[in-house]
Amino acid sequence: MQFARYLLRRTLWLLVTFVAAMVLVFLLIRLVPGNPVDAIVAQMTRGGGGSGEQVRAIYDNYMREFGLDLPLWQQFLVFCQNVLQGDFGTSFAQYPAPVTAMIGQALPWSIAIQLPAIVVGWLVGNVVGAVAAFRGGWFDKGAFLTSIFATSVPYYCLAIILLFVVAVRMQILPAGGGYSFGLSPELTLTFFGDAITYFWLPFWSLVIVFIGGQAVGMRSMAIYELGSDYVNYARGLGIGDNRITRYIFRNAMLPQLSGLALSIGGMIGGALITELVFNYPGLGTLLFTAISSNDYPVIQAIVLLITIAVLLANFLVDVVNGLIDPRIRAAETGDR
Amino acid sequence: MTRLLDARNLRAAYRTQDGRLVRAVDDVSVHVDEGEVLGVAGESGCGKSTLGAILSLNVRSPLQVESGTLDIEGKRQDFGASAKIPRTWRGSVVSLLPQGAMNSISPTMRVRDLCFDVVRAHDRRARRSDALDRVRDRIADLGLPPRVLDAYPHQLSGGMKQRVVTVISTLLNPRLLIADEPTSALDVSSQRALIEMLKEMLEQKIMAGVIFVTHDLPVLRTVSDRIAVMYAGKIVEVADAGDLVDRPRHPYSAALLSSVLVPEPRYRTMRVKGIPGAPPNLLDPPPGCRFHPRCGLAMPQCHTDEPPTDGTELRYSACHWSAQHPGESVPVEAATRDELDGGEPLDRAGEPVALAGDGTGVGR
Ligand SMILES: Nc1ncnc2c1ncn2[C@@H]1O[C@H](COP(=O)(O)OP(=O)(O)OP(=O)(O)O)[C@@H](O)[C@H]1O
Ligand code: SF4
Ligand SMILES: [Mg+2]
Repeated sequence: MQFARYLLRRTLWLLVTFVAAMVLVFLLIRLVPGNPVDAIVAQMTRGGGGSGEQVRAIYDNYMREFGLDLPLWQQFLVFCQNVLQGDFGTSFAQYPAPVTAMIGQALPWSIAIQLPAIVVGWLVGNVVGAVAAFRGGWFDKGAFLTSIFATSVPYYCLAIILLFVVAVRMQILPAGGGYSFGLSPELTLTFFGDAITYFWLPFWSLVIVFIGGQAVGMRSMAIYELGSDYVNYARGLGIGDNRITRYIFRNAMLPQLSGLALSIGGMIGGALITELVFNYPGLGTLLFTAISSNDYPVIQAIVLLITIAVLLANFLVDVVNGLIDPRIRAAETGDR
Repeated sequence: MTRLLDARNLRAAYRTQDGRLVRAVDDVSVHVDEGEVLGVAGESGCGKSTLGAILSLNVRSPLQVESGTLDIEGKRQDFGASAKIPRTWRGSVVSLLPQGAMNSISPTMRVRDLCFDVVRAHDRRARRSDALDRVRDRIADLGLPPRVLDAYPHQLSGGMKQRVVTVISTLLNPRLLIADEPTSALDVSSQRALIEMLKEMLEQKIMAGVIFVTHDLPVLRTVSDRIAVMYAGKIVEVADAGDLVDRPRHPYSAALLSSVLVPEPRYRTMRVKGIPGAPPNLLDPPPGCRFHPRCGLAMPQCHTDEPPTDGTELRYSACHWSAQHPGESVPVEAATRDELDGGEPLDRAGEPVALAGDGTGVGR
C-alpha cells in the first residue's frame, strides 16, 4: 500500500516535470535572438538575388509553414500536439526532411555504441570494485589505481589516443564513420560484419572510462559497508561470508543502480564528443550539425528527447530505489 | 556449580597503521559459572569491548590475540598464531550483543530475514517456515509484539531495536551471551525493560551465562552477580557485586564509584569527585601500576613495580596498597587525588569527570 502511494507521487512528479520541460524547450528555442526564419531566408538570399517582394513571400511562406505567425500560446498548443504525435516538424537545414525521420536514422547508432558500453562497463566495473574491496591487498591497489586513472582521463582524450594509435598508426581498425562507403544500413551479415569494425573504437573509448568510474564508486561503497555495524554483527552471529556479501551488495548497489539508470537516460546526449571524434552517424553528430546550421527543429527535438530520457531514467531510479530501500519509501510518504 | 567459561591469560593488541601495538587486553583471566552474570566495568577505552570481542570469538584485523586459552563447556580453544575457530561457534556457543545495536541490522532487510539467516547459518537444512515459527514463539515468550518480525530496522524505536537484537543474539540458545553496553544508549525505562528481558532469558535458560559490559556501575549492581573492574587493559579487581560496590579494595574501583552520578548510599554524603587526569594511552602505558599517576594512595613502589594480586580467584585486587592492607576496603576520600604529579593543581579536580560518560570509544 505504501509502495502504491509512493509510486503515485513519483508519477505525478514525472508528469509535472515533463510539462515544465516542454514549456522550457518550447520557449528556449523561441528566445534565440532573431527568428529562425530570418536566418533561413538570409541564407537563401545570400549573394544577392531576389527582390524585396520575393523575399517577403518566401518569408511568409516559411512563417506559416513553421507556425511562427500564430500567437505564442497557440504555437505552444500546436507544438504539444505535434510532439505527442511524434511529429517534430521539418528540418530547416535539410528542408523538407522530417525531423522525426532524421532522428530515427541517427538514434540506433547512438544506442548501438552506448548501450553495450554502459551495460558492459557497469557490470565489469561493479564486479571489479566489489572484488577489490573484499580482497584488499595488491589486487585492490592495482585495480584502484587503474580505475582512478581510467576515469580521470577525459573520455574524448582517450578517444583521440585510441584513434591515433589503433586507426592511424597501426591501421587495424577504420578511423571514422559508421560503415564502409558504398554500403547502406540494412539487416544483413555483410553490413553487420562491416559496421562492427567501425564500432570497436568508440565502444572501447567509452567502456574503459565507464568501467573505471563504476569500479571506483563501487569499491568505496563496499568498503564503507564492510566496516558497518551490521556486517560485524552478522559475523558475530556466525552468518557465512557469502550471505554477508549479499547484504553488502544490496546496500552498496543502491547508488550504483541510480548511476546505471542515469547513464542510460543520459545515453542519448552522452557521447556527443565521442561521436564527433569518430565521425559516428549518431545523434551527437546530428545535434552538432544542427547547431552549426541553426536547424532549430532538429535541436529542439533532440533536446526534448534527451530531457525525456533523463526524466524517465530518474523516475525509474526512484521506483527501483523505492523497491529496494524501505527508508526511501517511508521518508517519501511521510510515515514510518 | 559448573564452569561455563574459563579464559586464561588473554593478551590482545590492535596493530596501528604505523605498525605499533595498542595492547587493549593485557594478561586478563576471567571465568563465568553456569547461571551467572559477570559484570565488566571500566572507563571508556579500557578494553571492555576488546575483551568482549575475544570472548565472543569475534577477533579480526587489526585486533590480534597474542596468547591465551579459552575453555567453553570443556571445549578448549588455544589462541595463537594459527587459531582456527569454527564459524558456527559464534551465535550458538557464544553470542555477542554488540555495542551500538542501532545499526546492527542491515537497513534494507526485514528482521525476519535476518532471523532466518541466523538459523540457516547453523543448520543448512532449516526450513523457512519452521525457523520463523520458532522465532515467533520466542518473541511471544518474551512479550515483544509480533509485528517486529516484519519491520525494517528504521521502523523500530531504539529500545525496541535493542530488545529485538537481543532476541536475535540469543535465537540459537547460546551458552554464553556477551552483552556489550546494551543499555548505554537507552533511556531509563528502556534500560529496565531490557534488563528484565535478560533476566527472563536467564530464568528460561535460553542462555546459561552472561557477561555484561558497561561503564554504568548502578546498572551493573542490579544485574550482575560478580563484577570485574578493568583499567587500561587489565582487570584490577574482582568481587561479588554487592561487595565490590560497598567495600571496594582497589583504589580505582573506589574512584570509579565516587564519580558515579547516582551514588550508592555510602557515597551519597560525599561530593562527586571524579578521577583527575585521563586514562593512559595504551600504546605506551605507565610502568609499575598503570593507575599510579591518578591514584591518591600511590607509594614509591607503585611507580616501578607491577602490583601483586591479593586475594582469591573470586575476590581479588591487584594493588600494592591492598596487599599491605589485606581485607580492608579503600578509604574513598583518599583514593582520588586532587592534583597530578608535578604539583600543578588540576583545575578539573572536584568536577565530575564523567567517567566513560560518553560511552563510545574508538573501537566498538
Ligand atoms: N581498531 C582499532 N585500532 C587501534 N586501536 C583501537 C582500535 N579499536 C580500539 N582501539 C583501542 O583499544 C582500546 C580499547 O578499546 P575498547 O573499544 O575495547 O574500549 P572500551 O572499553 O570498550 O571503551 P568504550 O566504553 O568507549 O566502549 C582503546 O584505547 C582504543 O583506543
Ligand atoms: S596504590 Fe599503587 S598499586 Fe594500588 S592502585 Fe594506587 S598506584 Fe596502583
Ligand atoms: Mg566498548
